[in-house]
Amino acid sequence: MTGALLVPVSLTEYFRHSKRCSFRARVSSLAFMLMLLPGVARTTRAASSTAYERDIKPILQQRCYSCHSRLKQKSELRLDAGALIGKGGKHGSAIVAGRSAESPLLQRVLSTVEDERMPPEGKPLTPDQIALLRRWIDDGARYPKDEVIPQTAAEHWAFQPVRQPPVPTVKNKRWPRNAIDRFVLAKLEQRGWKPAPVAGPRALLRRVHLDLTGLPPTLAEQESFLQAPSADALDQVIDGLLSRPAYGERWARHWLDVVRYADSNGYERDAEKPFVWRYRDYVINALNGDKPFDRFILEQLAGDELPGACAETMIATGFQRLGHWDDEPADPETDRYDQLDDIVSTTAQAFLGLTLGCARCHDHKFEPLSTRDYYSMVAVFNPLRRPQKGRTELALPVGSREELAVLAGRDGEIGRLQQQTNTLTAAEIEKRIQKLRDATPDLPQAYILQEPATNPPVTHVLLRGSPGRPGEVVAPAVPSVLVNKQPEFQPSGERTSGRRLGLASWMASPDNSLTARVIVNRVWQQHFGYGLVRTPNDFGLMGEPATHPELLDWLAHWFVNEAHWSLKKLHRLILASNTWRMSKAPNPEYAAADPEDRLLWRMPYRRLEVEAIRDSMLAVSGQLNTKGFGPSMKPRIQQAALEANTDKESIWKPSDDLEASRRTIYAFIKRGLVVPMLEVLDLGDTVSSCPKRQVTTVAPQALSLFNGEFVNQQTRHFAARLLIEAGSDHRKQIDLAWRLALGRPPAKDEAATMLEFREQEAGRLLAEAAKENRSLSNTEAQRAALEQMCRVIYNLNEFVYPE
Amino acid sequence: MSRFIPNPTPCGRSRREFLWQVGGGFAGIALIDLLSDSGFFEGKAGAATGPFPPGRPHFPARAKHCVFLFMNGGPSQVDTFDPKPELTKFNGLPYRGDAKVGSNGRPIGHLMQSPFDFQEHGQSGLPISSLFPHTAKFADDLCVIRSMFTDTAAHASGCLQMNTGSIFIGKPSLGAWLSYGLGAINRNLPSFVVMTDPRGGPIGSASNWTAGYMPASHQGTLFRSGGSPLLDLATPEGTSDATQRHSLDLLKKLNEEHLKQHPDESELLARIESYELAYRMQTTAASVIDVEHEDEATREMYGLNEKRTADFGRKCLITRRLLENGVRFIQLYSGGGHIEDTWDGHNNCVENHKLHAGETDKPIAALITDLKRSGLWDETLLVWGGEFGRTPTSEGVGKPGRDHDWHGFSMWLAGAGVKGGQAIGATDELGFKAVEEPCHVGDLHATVLHLLGLDHTKLTYFHQGLDQRLTGVLDRRVIQKVLA
Repeated sequence: MTGALLVPVSLTEYFRHSKRCSFRARVSSLAFMLMLLPGVARTTRAASSTAYERDIKPILQQRCYSCHSRLKQKSELRLDAGALIGKGGKHGSAIVAGRSAESPLLQRVLSTVEDERMPPEGKPLTPDQIALLRRWIDDGARYPKDEVIPQTAAEHWAFQPVRQPPVPTVKNKRWPRNAIDRFVLAKLEQRGWKPAPVAGPRALLRRVHLDLTGLPPTLAEQESFLQAPSADALDQVIDGLLSRPAYGERWARHWLDVVRYADSNGYERDAEKPFVWRYRDYVINALNGDKPFDRFILEQLAGDELPGACAETMIATGFQRLGHWDDEPADPETDRYDQLDDIVSTTAQAFLGLTLGCARCHDHKFEPLSTRDYYSMVAVFNPLRRPQKGRTELALPVGSREELAVLAGRDGEIGRLQQQTNTLTAAEIEKRIQKLRDATPDLPQAYILQEPATNPPVTHVLLRGSPGRPGEVVAPAVPSVLVNKQPEFQPSGERTSGRRLGLASWMASPDNSLTARVIVNRVWQQHFGYGLVRTPNDFGLMGEPATHPELLDWLAHWFVNEAHWSLKKLHRLILASNTWRMSKAPNPEYAAADPEDRLLWRMPYRRLEVEAIRDSMLAVSGQLNTKGFGPSMKPRIQQAALEANTDKESIWKPSDDLEASRRTIYAFIKRGLVVPMLEVLDLGDTVSSCPKRQVTTVAPQALSLFNGEFVNQQTRHFAARLLIEAGSDHRKQIDLAWRLALGRPPAKDEAATMLEFREQEAGRLLAEAAKENRSLSNTEAQRAALEQMCRVIYNLNEFVYPE
Repeated sequence: MSRFIPNPTPCGRSRREFLWQVGGGFAGIALIDLLSDSGFFEGKAGAATGPFPPGRPHFPARAKHCVFLFMNGGPSQVDTFDPKPELTKFNGLPYRGDAKVGSNGRPIGHLMQSPFDFQEHGQSGLPISSLFPHTAKFADDLCVIRSMFTDTAAHASGCLQMNTGSIFIGKPSLGAWLSYGLGAINRNLPSFVVMTDPRGGPIGSASNWTAGYMPASHQGTLFRSGGSPLLDLATPEGTSDATQRHSLDLLKKLNEEHLKQHPDESELLARIESYELAYRMQTTAASVIDVEHEDEATREMYGLNEKRTADFGRKCLITRRLLENGVRFIQLYSGGGHIEDTWDGHNNCVENHKLHAGETDKPIAALITDLKRSGLWDETLLVWGGEFGRTPTSEGVGKPGRDHDWHGFSMWLAGAGVKGGQAIGATDELGFKAVEEPCHVGDLHATVLHLLGLDHTKLTYFHQGLDQRLTGVLDRRVIQKVLA
């Protein structure tokens, strides 16, 4: 019984409680037992659980949790909740409330015997810390009665199999269009709340275009939809948008964020990654072709190991080589493990939503992930080699096994020919080589790693992450907390170890508890601004719990079993819901209770990403170059921004205007020199996986969008377009400008404001010119005023914060 | 200061998140002020505590500002602040010690004495080489650390380590950590300013002043010492000030109408204010770099009238003006581009150091003089040094160059909270390797943070599952002897 001598309730509460309880209940009540202890009642009156929260928990957290908490339970003891401290472990309770001297916890921290003293590692607790523990125990070892006992790692929701929860019934039968709506509405109805009304047709049309393609609807598209706008008509629009190339160009960028895509290596030379853009194109094509997501995983992790490997699947493995890379590492051995770390960390975050990278030097402090788990994943990728010649990186030819064999044969013959300088003339050799090349043309090159041998190197756990301190040998494996039985890693195949295929097959399996949840959540996040889990790269214990756990599971289950991993089907389902079609209208009452909109009582408000802002400007000005794919283009960078670079003359060769007017996903991302407009408007981290863009609001953004060269250039094009398409009538120009940029006609007072502005501005310019004795025609003044109007429209809040 | 904790507000996102995203960094604090001035927070949850205030150190700070004089390329310790009589004695002999000499297969020469004369200066008798006759006048203010060491022999990773604490790219820089930890002081200027050398930036350029995984608002802002100091600060060509204001007024009017439909959207209001702030910055920032109105004696003191010192002198003078205007952290680069255009004296360390010391010595002394005169000295910390040092051996037998040395090098600190007139630690008798009281770059960072009122173990940012720190996971310590 001594193990139950903690006091979870105050004595007053105990008495109140006991009046309503039977004698038997009272006897069994922990608090009652406490009453029998001399001296305890006296002290507990004054004591409170504050000391536990303020003094005790931090000590335990810092020094004890790593072995005695939900992560690990050495001697079956947990110290991460007051109730569990009392419950104790296999040696009994850790404390005797009111009697510190008899409490094993105190005895162990005070022990002078090296093997007994806790904690076993590091310095002993300080006298102050010990005094706090002693006082807390003597005062009755109180803790808040409502303290939540953390789930053990094994119980953590995200590590449980995906279930198919029943779709809830709701009172309002008319509102839901599909299951999503019923899950969301059920939660709202629990509070007696109503969802926000459906947004207006113009707002919805603009929203859906920007969401799926990152471009605003054209005038024709607006007219077509608005003739007979309806929920079903919007479904049709969605189908149409999903079949456009622009869909892949928009959504590929979201995936590129997650996989740390960039076009250069970073570091001293920050060299271009040759042909890395083929990976970007692969992602665009995969999305446009609605490649099932399980297949998408297999190809990126093991596209070279798959049966029927081909150029496309090999290019997909570029995923593994996207990280930053130091071509002159200070310590090559450490550098090798840094590269592996980049792959392991990104893979775990991108597909599993786990922060496995933290377990490189020591067991993860907050997650059930050990160094063994980490290095078992390292073992999967360890056979990979980076094709390079000194500091220069090499790309590799890609194709089917047959194509590659034929190419290798050709190159062998060429090699032999080149040796025959004794028997053949140089011209003859050249001629024969050319003939061989004509017969067997080169294959496309791709930026990928390669596994050059079938005998994988031995992988050790590295103690404290140091390559100089190899520990036990590990085989390839997946994090043990996620499986009861390790998936099978086939023995080496003919060409490679097959390890990545083993990992990918497990990740892409319907049984994996994380994969489907993680990707469904990412898609949800892009549609709503927030995921159902608001920490999209962290589904572990430290991640946030889902706002709608049943909905997340239902979607994950549906995605795998009904949609067969089809992202387009998932988009359709989400966009068909009235949840997604809600307006962003404010509701002070709901906002006060749920300011972060966790219950989804309306559509959250959010700014467009910089790509969508830039692309929209190009579309509105009529300058968008829709050319897809291929090498990246380089938008112009102000000379001032180049000054700070080592090779300021040569570092950035901008593309011409036509090329630079392509969609922003085709812009070259140089890690050491990010295009300032993209950087200031919160482009994602280019070095590690970026699960969600930051949204900062700072003055340099205003400088870039109001004064920057790109915007002012597009402003002039926008004005020119208005003159051509609307003629010289100011009202028509204003009306057209509004429709192009905002997808709606101007309100009466807006139109009046614009007219007034233009008159004033033109008048002022003319007066100014007259005063300065400059010649300025009325047409020129009118045009200048029109350009100012366009500049203002591009900077409107509504332009970057669509309804 | 650690992990983001949800703390609901009516703004549609957590108060913490909101303040965080607009606050603290470049011009962000100004937005907070403006929103407060406009009554935005009044009557709303959490308003009682006030918006994220500038300067919330862990303990009383010794310094409010920091100026990092970055000697890009790696100055030689034995030619600057670490006299080695033994080196003179063994001049021309092959090195037989156990330190790994040189970088990346460059030729290894013989021990090479310093051609520069070391004199003891000031009351303290701190020895300083003849490269710095002006700075030497402040010997009693300098605290030289002779036992610095770093983890890498390459410029790129060395600069990154000195600036971000890590040899990998993508980590927030010291200035970003200060911006994050302490916030900005001035509404209309960035809290972290970087000025590079006209010959080019350091290797890795912006990754040396990045905010890394923190919001971009904490990153260093490049200031140019002439023309328009900030990117896109100037009104577009052909647009008059009157037009600029007229258009901004229109924008404001339309945005305010739009805001009426979304009265609870803090981001929309913040964005409206950001345009007004940007407009004011056009005036403020431009006036800070306008040193034309400084008196002739000052201009002369900073070396603005001599070609050799004009550029660095101008940057030092702008530095004083930025400090006066409340900028938190300023980093000045001496040297840019490659090899001899920086302190990277592979070919001829002697001429190289004469050039770069000659360009910077007088302006730095002027800055110290000026700060002392204005009283800013008592709240400003100065840090001088590069990413590593140089070998006591020549690069190639009989050649006057020196290669990289990361086992031991010198830096100095001065100003607020620093005990001047002393040299801490020591390299071995030839000057290769830190042997007494070795100080890692992380120790320097811990010390700088400490002087600015921040505990390097508590200044954390949650990212990728970890509470990240500038000083990383290894034990780093405040160099106690530095403290006054």
